[in-house]
This record gives sequence, structure tokens and C-alpha cells, in this order.
Amino acid sequence: MSGWKITILCCHYTNEAMAEDLADIPAKIEIKSFPCSGRIEVSDILKALEAEAEAVLVAGCEKGSCHNRSGSMRAEKRVEAARKILEEIGMEPERVQMAFIPRLDTGAFVAAAKKTFEKLLDILPKGETTS
Amino acid sequence: MIIAERKPLARILQMIAPFERVAIIGCRGCVAICSAGGDREVEILAAALRLARKRAGRPLQTIEETFVRQCDPEYLTPLESLKEKVEAVVSLACGVGVNLAADLYPDLKIYPGVDTSFYGANPSLGQWEEKCRGCGDCIIDMTGGLCPIARCAKNLLNGPCGGSQGGKCEIRPDVPCVWHLIYERLKKRGELEKLTQIWPAKDWTPAGHGGPRERVRPDLQFNNNKK
Repeated sequence: MSGWKITILCCHYTNEAMAEDLADIPAKIEIKSFPCSGRIEVSDILKALEAEAEAVLVAGCEKGSCHNRSGSMRAEKRVEAARKILEEIGMEPERVQMAFIPRLDTGAFVAAAKKTFEKLLDILPKGETTS
Repeated sequence: MIIAERKPLARILQMIAPFERVAIIGCRGCVAICSAGGDREVEILAAALRLARKRAGRPLQTIEETFVRQCDPEYLTPLESLKEKVEAVVSLACGVGVNLAADLYPDLKIYPGVDTSFYGANPSLGQWEEKCRGCGDCIIDMTGGLCPIARCAKNLLNGPCGGSQGGKCEIRPDVPCVWHLIYERLKKRGELEKLTQIWPAKDWTPAGHGGPRERVRPDLQFNNNKK
């Protein structure tokens, strides 16, 4: 295990993955579901980082398939806003990733989580944590 | 409404550097409407400051509150008890709110979290445009409701200037020339004669010459205990 924690903030409809689906990723994975990714606020992303996550993945429905029409597009804008804040305080904006996932596609969800982990490999020396 | 924008985080972090317990206080007036200082922005700023300070090895405790307004003394009264709980306050109200709090609670260390920018309108989501400069001598009855003081880069009273090209401003070519708009508007209304007069140099006295401006309504000054 890398000792890293990745928090996934996702729309309830994008994820059916269980802990075993994510077991290949050598990091602690925390999943927080929201009724819609459009409900995920910039502060939720920042609070996840404050709560020891090295990276945050925001997962919303594929564009055009959101129950609430524009939820995942709102989420994408909040990810951009959170990244700007990270830049302002000297953190790597790549710590926050956005993924558009086909509804309940576990494979795509796991792939997005892996990609987030790989981003961390790019920006953090192995074993380094923010805490 | 009064338009404001959050100050750079580095600047706010510098202001609160000596403190470990800070209140972030929003305002549900103009700054909430222009998404600079309402409940949501308070929560975001507090989280960002805590995260930055945690990484710097100097954790910060925050109290987050949003007042109904910060430009009326009665809504600022919670600051009295807040003084006991925190070392400093970052206010996301406009400069009016911060000034009033500083006047009323002189022993409170209060810092501005936003830059107060202008009086503006909200023509579409996420966009605010200056429409009034508060110059104290409104002339828009003569200009079709469009203000050349606020909306002309040169504040011209007898525009347009020679730089207006194709209805656009020469200073910022993406901005409409307000004098062009005024001409078109008055022409459509059949009021072009309003442009035949030459305006003398503007008297800027009502705009703040002589110090802070005041407005008094004696008929409302009953049991006034504000001062």
C-alpha cells in the first residue's frame, strides 16, 4: 500500500463498485455518494483533502445522461474552482480529478479511480502524504 | 447591488497569520447575491484556509457564520460574543460592513476577505457588469437610462469620443460604446434633441468631495440610538 488515501465523491447513479472492485489500487479508497454530482460543492472537495485525502475524484454521469440534466457539468465546474483554490495555496491542482462515468458502469468507475492514483504517482513521491 | 470579489487566498492567509482561531463571517446581502460572500463562499473560504494552514503545520480553527446584513448595527451584535471565541474575524461583507463593524467594535480585529468592486447588475449567471458609479448626481434621464459616467471608459459627458468604432469602445473593444448606445436609444425614442445641449464640466461635489457622504431623513430619526 502506498499509504495514500483517495476520496471519491460521486453521484449515487455512477457507482455500484464494491471495495473488492477497487482492491487493486494500492491506496485507501473512501467513497462518498451524493444524490447527484451537481450537489458536490467546492467545499466538499476541499474538506476531503483536509481529511487526509491526497487526491479527490469527482465522478458524475456522462454528459447528457444526468438525471438532473446538468448535474455532472456543474460538478465539472466545481472541480475547476477547487483546482484554482489548490493552486492559490500551493497544492497541485491535479489532486482533484473529474470523471464522467456511464451510468452504473463499474469498469469505468474503477478505471477513473486508477487514473486518479496514477496522477498521484506523477505528482507525489511514493509514500509521501499531505498529513 | 454592490459587487465584490474574494481577495487572493495568499493575502487573507497573510492577514490571519498570527491567529489560531478565526471567524469567517459572510453577509446575506449583496455579496451573497454576487457569489462573493454568502454561506457557500464562507464555507469554501474556511475550508481553503484550514487546508492551507494545516499544510503549513499551523492548524487553524474556524467558526463560520453568515449574518443577514453587515451594514446595519443590529445584525452585527453577534460580534460581541464572537470576540470571546476567536482572535480575529475575516468578513466577506463589502467594505461598508467591515467599516461599520470596525466602528462599532473597535477592539475586534476584523479583516476584509473581499475586494469591493462596483455597483453592478447580474445580466446572466456568473457575470456582473458595472452600471452605476454612485456619483450622486444622476443624469440618466437625459441619456435614455444609460449612464456615461459608469459605462464610458472616459466618463465623457459629451460623447462619443473619437475612438468609438463600430459601436465599440477603443479602450476595450469587446465593450459597447455607451455613447453609441445612448444615441441609438434616444433616436429610437424620438428624443435626439436631448443630445443637442452641451454639458459643462461635471460637478463632482456630490460624488464625495469633502469626505464621506451622508444621507439624513429626519422623519425616520425617532428613538434613534444608532449613534
